[in-house]
Amino acid sequence: MPDTALTPPEAARWAARAGLPLPADRHAAVAATADHIHSVVSLLRELDFGETVPAAAYRAGQEAHDATV
Amino acid sequence: MRPYELSLTAAAEAIRTRQLSPVELADSVLERIAHLEPRLQAYVTVTAGRAREAAREAERDIVAGRRLGPLHGIPMGVKDLIDVAGTATSAGSRVRADHRAQGDSTVAARLAAAGAVLLGKTQTHEFAYGLTTPQTNNAWDTGRVAGGSSGGSAVAVAAGMATFALGTDTGGSIRVPSALNGVVGLKPTYGLLPRHGVTSLSWSLDHVGPITRTVEDASLVLTALAEHDPRDPASLPTPATDYRPDAGTDLTGLRVGVPRNYYFDHVDPEVEAAVRRAVDQLQALGARLVEVEIPMTRYIQATHWGLMVPEATAYHEATLRTVPELYQADVRILLEAGELMTAGDYLRAQRSRTLMRQEWARMLREVDLIAAPTVPATAVRAGQETITWADGTVEGVSDAYVRLSSPANITGIPSLSVPVGQDAAGLPIGMQLLGRPLQESVLLRAGHAYEQTQPARDLARVRAAH
Repeated sequence: MPDTALTPPEAARWAARAGLPLPADRHAAVAATADHIHSVVSLLRELDFGETVPAAAYRAGQEAHDATV
Repeated sequence: MRPYELSLTAAAEAIRTRQLSPVELADSVLERIAHLEPRLQAYVTVTAGRAREAAREAERDIVAGRRLGPLHGIPMGVKDLIDVAGTATSAGSRVRADHRAQGDSTVAARLAAAGAVLLGKTQTHEFAYGLTTPQTNNAWDTGRVAGGSSGGSAVAVAAGMATFALGTDTGGSIRVPSALNGVVGLKPTYGLLPRHGVTSLSWSLDHVGPITRTVEDASLVLTALAEHDPRDPASLPTPATDYRPDAGTDLTGLRVGVPRNYYFDHVDPEVEAAVRRAVDQLQALGARLVEVEIPMTRYIQATHWGLMVPEATAYHEATLRTVPELYQADVRILLEAGELMTAGDYLRAQRSRTLMRQEWARMLREVDLIAAPTVPATAVRAGQETITWADGTVEGVSDAYVRLSSPANITGIPSLSVPVGQDAAGLPIGMQLLGRPLQESVLLRAGHAYEQTQPARDLARVRAAH
């Protein structure tokens, strides 16, 4: 586990801060799953986004226009 | 040939020429459902009485010269994530036990307006958040997974228990079960088919689309459904279009991209061989093969999860707090863990989507479509959790099934899965054709040309678990 891995009580506290009280028997499983998700999505920190604007939703019309340039 | 065996195209022609009545067709398909449903469990609800009444009405209209088009009198199934007025949209979940849809989804209303006959609601992985649909059995081997999340729709079409069906696709949920059951599945361009009245898994990745026996069948359903609907904020202002492909098989001049990376990595050798044979067939029809490099592959799963996980958790915010115990374990844990993702994670995924979209657009200027496996392996045994690849790498079944299909959800481009053979165990293999946004017609033309040069496919030969 990396240094930033969540302990079960930390997972419970984060969830509580998000407004989701977790029963005690959920803490360990949620911590493990959250850590797995984190290990996947944190790869995106490698990317140099510069001025890249987030795509909240994909717009195909714009894409089709791009393709004709 | 018995009516339930007919493709949509063939059944529509038989109805048009009065060789077949919609009542005969509906009765035949309903009998097939009665025969196979105990083994396959493709449906949540079968509305037999309503279907027979709709078929009688279609017959009266057609006899009176009021035929509405190719879908008139055709029996079909709708994934139980799609609202049909007066019926439950159970979404495969106990959370929806008392649900009743107040109105039709746009796609259900358009199917009804086209005269299609609803057979019932088909099984989905709970809230579409999974790739196996454990309630349903594979149409070719009941001991294997149906694939998901539109597992019931794909199994019903594969086994003759629906002439066509609708599914939804957020990471591959139309194409994965289509490939695993040997039928055609089309995930259209994001925004082409309206999602009003369709339960969301992830707003920015969700699509609705047809699951059919043939590519031509898919074109008929797409033609009936594709039109702007202001009630879906993502709906594109596209005009009604006839997507039916030409009869010819000449693909001269078509540039087919063949990925040199990603799409053939960690792919079962039998799947790879079947897809490469199909690509060779496209070349034999005149297509020019062009090697392409798939961009940003290291970030595909991260981008997909970074978008889907927080959006799914947001959708379920209320019920995750009031009735968490009603969710299945696999879905509940993902929804809970999604609460711990940050806005930074989500924004990075959105910015990565921008980059990926740009890179894919660049790649798709060099070719007209890309041909690749739909899924890296055929249907695994029910309960199997991992796949071990030749180099010893172990991959979760769901991760493997979604791996090759999610890029089309992130980028929004259309993807058509077409059956291209079977493995040694007799299990179906699918090839996906990926194209430029709103270029469904290119995919349908190539897929239709390929199909015409292959022997007609039989319905699934349902075998007991072994």
